[in-house]
Amino acid sequence: MSLSRLDKKQLTAFIPGTIIDVKVKVGQPVNQGEILVILDAMKMHNRILAPINSIVKEVNVKPNDRVQKGFVMIVLE
Amino acid sequence: MPLKSKIEELQKRKEEVLQGGGEQAIAKQVAMGKLTARERVLALLDEDSFHEYDLFVEHDARDFGMDGKILHGDGVIIGTGTVFGAPVAVFAQDFTVAGGSLGSMHARKITKIMDYALRMRIPLIGINDSGGARIQEGVNSLAGYGEIFWRNTLSSGIIPQLSVILGPCAGGAVYSPALTDFVFVVDKISKMFITGPEVIKSVLGEEISQDDLGGAMVHAAITGNAHFYAESEIECFEQIKKLITFIPWNNSRKARRFEPKEPKPEFNINNIVPNDPKQPYDVRDVIKALADDSDFFEIQELWAANIVIGFGRLNGETVGFVANQPLVMAGVLDVDSSDKAARFIRYCDAFNIPLCTLVDLPGYLPGIDQEHAGVIRHGAKLLYAYSEASVPKMTVILRKAYGGGYIAMSSRHLRADFVFAWPGAEIAVMGPEGAANIIFRKEITEAANPEEMRRKKVEEYKEKFANPYVAASKGYIDTVIEPKETRKLLLHALEVSSTKIADRPTKKHGIPPF
Repeated sequence: MSLSRLDKKQLTAFIPGTIIDVKVKVGQPVNQGEILVILDAMKMHNRILAPINSIVKEVNVKPNDRVQKGFVMIVLE
Repeated sequence: MPLKSKIEELQKRKEEVLQGGGEQAIAKQVAMGKLTARERVLALLDEDSFHEYDLFVEHDARDFGMDGKILHGDGVIIGTGTVFGAPVAVFAQDFTVAGGSLGSMHARKITKIMDYALRMRIPLIGINDSGGARIQEGVNSLAGYGEIFWRNTLSSGIIPQLSVILGPCAGGAVYSPALTDFVFVVDKISKMFITGPEVIKSVLGEEISQDDLGGAMVHAAITGNAHFYAESEIECFEQIKKLITFIPWNNSRKARRFEPKEPKPEFNINNIVPNDPKQPYDVRDVIKALADDSDFFEIQELWAANIVIGFGRLNGETVGFVANQPLVMAGVLDVDSSDKAARFIRYCDAFNIPLCTLVDLPGYLPGIDQEHAGVIRHGAKLLYAYSEASVPKMTVILRKAYGGGYIAMSSRHLRADFVFAWPGAEIAVMGPEGAANIIFRKEITEAANPEEMRRKKVEEYKEKFANPYVAASKGYIDTVIEPKETRKLLLHALEVSSTKIADRPTKKHGIPPF
């Protein structure tokens, strides 16, 4: 059983918003705390950070994309 | 019998009981990566300060072969001691004795130390490590739990009650920790659930491990049942000791005063909050730039992190900090963050701890799931807690304070004693975009270039209303200050409110929306 709220490999949008910037590419190694995506929502340029050291497996967003709540923006290995 | 022999007999009896469940059971406990109950008590308390009571208590069960069974101390240790010199009452369930199961004498020992803690007005620390009710003792076990819950409630708001989960704590047993003020969990050791994996599997067919269902991280990050998460028991005891230094012994005292210390220079209050309200930052850096020695003791760090709560000191005095966290979910208020902050505010109010609120939020989180999860009721907890609190209340508006969020976050209208705003504060009924769209709807839709007109009107609104001076002109905020003046003003506010009297109409109790 997957515990989505403890899942550190799938990074989802907490609320609908617009992607401002995507800082990573598939296959890129990332360090914990590194900015992956910037999501404009709730009057804030929210930084979506890497919760663990990993490698980017999927990038499902590009700048100016509108995303819905719960949309999986980035998947880490 | 000569006295010498009597003393020898006492020593012999003590030695036997101090073995707990015996070598084999202790070896099992160690293999699980756990300390024994007695090791825990000794590690937690000041050296040589622990005094144990009811060492010779035995169970009185007669059924199901319990007759001849010897259960040392009936599976629980009780006593008193000190933590950094502060007196505390302690119980620690001993898993090596019948799995720490709770029978009637076991419960009687716990309720005895609870009664003692309440009578003496000293904090109670309960270490839980128990398989649950002792089945052989039937309804007497249930009675024991009930007696514990009743005392937890009776003591609530009078003495601090801390629960340390260092093993399984399942079924009815979980409700005692849930009724106490602070719950501590340790990775790989703590397990809390109402119904365990076996029952869930047989009733629902769902499979899950104990750790995934109710392990330390689950309660620290998902449920919010735990307040402090540690990697090891020793780290957990350090957290408990630190907490004890921040809180008073009981509700008629103030927390111990420490030597005042200036914040550390690396936390420069002028450089933390970005001018652009769309840029996030870590509000804990603001707290560290304000608090003595930049020492901030965060509570529920991993749960509902869009609001930050915890203790720090101003001029040596304990203060409860509540702050929106722009770094997480833009710092919105939602079901969980409202619940988290409201309970903390009530704790501080009950134990004479002044509140310092730092405001920077876009408002309540919109969404179907929030509305259907009861954000109205949960959000109301925050309004209730702030309105009800009669301790000194100081509010600093750092940046955004819009709409219901502005009112909820310890505003003047909920009787904050001091409300300060930084020059970049935006205090308004809603954000400029939303407000301009509504107020100037006609001008925007009828304009030759609606997008340009919208931008113009948003700018117009921003200039006129997205500042602290409209609220200041009504006296809703007391003064607009430079960030560098904040600590000085908070120290002053604390000084002049130390004799505060906030009269409230007499009542039996209020009915908060929980």
